[in-house]
Amino acid sequence: MSQNKSVLFYPKGGKPSIIANEWLVWNGDESELSKLDQKQKVLVPFSWWLANGQAHGQADTKNPDSELAKRIAAKSIGVWFAADDDILKHAEVIKAGKSIWSLVAADFPIFRDGRSFSTAALLRERFAWTGEIRAIGDVLIDQLILGARSGFDSFALRADQNTDVALKQFDLFTVTTQNSWRDRRSQLGGLQVGSYE
Amino acid sequence: MYKYDQIDQTLVNERVIQFQDQVERRIQGSLPEEEFRPLRLQNGLYHQRHAYMLRVAIPYGLLSSEQLRTLAQIADKYDRGYGHFTTRQNIQFNWIKLEESPAILADLAKVQMHAIQTSGNCIRNITSDAFAGVAADEYVDPRPICELLRQWSTLHPEFAFLPRKFKFAITGAKEDRTILLCHDVGIALKKNTQGNLVADIYAGGGMGRTPILGSLIKESLPWNVLPSYLTALLRVYNRFGRRDNIYKARIKILVKALGPEEFARQVEGEWATIKDGDDNFQQSEWDRVANHFTKPAYKSTQSISTTDLIDSAPQHEQAAFARWLERNVKPHQVPGYASVIFSLKPHGSVAPGDATTEQMLAIADLADQYSFGELRITHEQNLVLADVEQAKLLELWHKAKAQNVVLPNIGLLTDIIACPGGDFCSLANAKSLPIAKAIQERFDDLDYLHDLGEISLNISGCINSCGHHHVGNIGVLGVDKDGEEWYQITLGGEQGNHASIGKVIGPSFGAEQIPDVMADIIDTYVKHRTADEPFIETYRRVGVTPFKEAAYLNRSKEGSSAGVSA
Repeated sequence: MSQNKSVLFYPKGGKPSIIANEWLVWNGDESELSKLDQKQKVLVPFSWWLANGQAHGQADTKNPDSELAKRIAAKSIGVWFAADDDILKHAEVIKAGKSIWSLVAADFPIFRDGRSFSTAALLRERFAWTGEIRAIGDVLIDQLILGARSGFDSFALRADQNTDVALKQFDLFTVTTQNSWRDRRSQLGGLQVGSYE
Repeated sequence: MYKYDQIDQTLVNERVIQFQDQVERRIQGSLPEEEFRPLRLQNGLYHQRHAYMLRVAIPYGLLSSEQLRTLAQIADKYDRGYGHFTTRQNIQFNWIKLEESPAILADLAKVQMHAIQTSGNCIRNITSDAFAGVAADEYVDPRPICELLRQWSTLHPEFAFLPRKFKFAITGAKEDRTILLCHDVGIALKKNTQGNLVADIYAGGGMGRTPILGSLIKESLPWNVLPSYLTALLRVYNRFGRRDNIYKARIKILVKALGPEEFARQVEGEWATIKDGDDNFQQSEWDRVANHFTKPAYKSTQSISTTDLIDSAPQHEQAAFARWLERNVKPHQVPGYASVIFSLKPHGSVAPGDATTEQMLAIADLADQYSFGELRITHEQNLVLADVEQAKLLELWHKAKAQNVVLPNIGLLTDIIACPGGDFCSLANAKSLPIAKAIQERFDDLDYLHDLGEISLNISGCINSCGHHHVGNIGVLGVDKDGEEWYQITLGGEQGNHASIGKVIGPSFGAEQIPDVMADIIDTYVKHRTADEPFIETYRRVGVTPFKEAAYLNRSKEGSSAGVSA
């Protein structure tokens, strides 16, 4: 279980800011989940969701009193993707999740592991995910520009990272030479494709 | 050549500011070395044995005289008065101070240069044919695609932390001069029957610990969809390339594990979903970039025969000039023009690929006077003036002599390709430069070298293979055994259209044995060759056995205990 006090929120088309964090990242230890307050927003491992959430999700009409059904009703649940989760293998689950999860996250087990950049890009491109995607784990200042362009719009920075330096990162580049989730390449006229939804 | 527009210039300027901030955070302590390391590598800054080394990109090997002057000044101001041209069309400065590196990048930015992605687990500097746009055997000038992809890959957000480094090579000629099949991705450009520009894509080649030639995974891909196709390819690699073992993390291991067909299928599946997106290049982008690669203002002139050229030299110089014409001057697309290679491989005096500040400045002047102010860097670590009037070859030869760059050894045994090795590089197991020097000294007889003809000799100080020893007709690899330096010999490697990976002949040798072993290998070739048969063909015809016997005959096998066996 871990919870950052605040996260860096940088909506597409908006300005970056540090906001209070409401979400707890649960690592999958069953003994912990049941102790949590129903209202506590929690991100569960995608692998756990595959094993439990789907069944519960289907069952929730039969058993609206189940703990998970209550969380789903309260919009207090989301999933986080591990770096080695193959999200394309579970396209149906993710499509169904769009109406259930109010937040998804992708994990950086170590800052130099770039798999979650592709996860974020696929969520935006392939699944047309318009909600928030959060970077969690070993998230450092110098990954912010990459993450923000790949598809992330919030960042649970590692606790030792200086948030003042972090906020300045997004002003460093005023041009780009390839398309990304956030902007078209400057050669084609550049920034701002649509606004944050 | 390509000139930056406002966008390119802004990007490199802003990159300097970003790196300056990263260096400041490192020096002031908030950024630990472990976390700074990938950041500095993505800007070409290595920490070596004695100091920092800065690797500067020379995209697809093309350089203006003004840029070369800046490199010369950087060597003078921040280094020890020389630079080292690498096997991947970069230049390295070996004696750099961390705190001065942002200032060097700022100097580079002023002449439209940078060190972006010259190292790190990202898309590296894109290499191409050093004779692009001038080679007589060219189908398509690859430079507009090189430049478009340089821009596309620069600071690509999704692919900055791949499992491992990722190298592109791009060619457009009949003869491959890029070692295309030893790259993570090789792009072979051609025109299809309708006259449209298309690309054949090879993937999964590489050298290093597991040398593998790339496989053709896509044929006749229209040029404009390269960004979406390469995104799909890199995405498959980023997601599924191994990250548990650095030696198995290159794309070649993934392609081999899946099989090229299955890898191609996965790329195709990914590509199907993004192929129509606006990532793809537009005609206007091609026009903007290609406009920079129009032909220079060639004079309308006649071809001059080699005999006439030789006759134009004074009698006493004719033999030497003829030899230079034969080895260091290459045919050109335009009648009356030629491409000249300056050899950075003088015998035994400097490291292969090194050039001093003085040489760089003088060569920049020669480029201005004789070749429209442009130069090329070859992956064999030599310099090229690509557009020289044949009528001025003699004059150029005379002037270039003063810079000690006219040794007529291009393609010969002493045109040795070598990494900096253990003298500089902290990755190296063994030194490469003293081995190169000893071989050049042993084979210092030009008559003999010319008689031997084409032989490529490549030396790498470790299995990372920066000296490309796997594709040398003769390869030398430095290995470490109990703290001692040993050298393993491979034979039969080749670059070009018949690319092949050399085979280890047996146990490794001590440094002092290498010149004698070379002599035995060469003697074996001379003994077995027919008429004009080049080394590689003799080797293929007679096989490894006679070479192996000669190399190990009457030679103590201390090396055999060094354990690096075939």
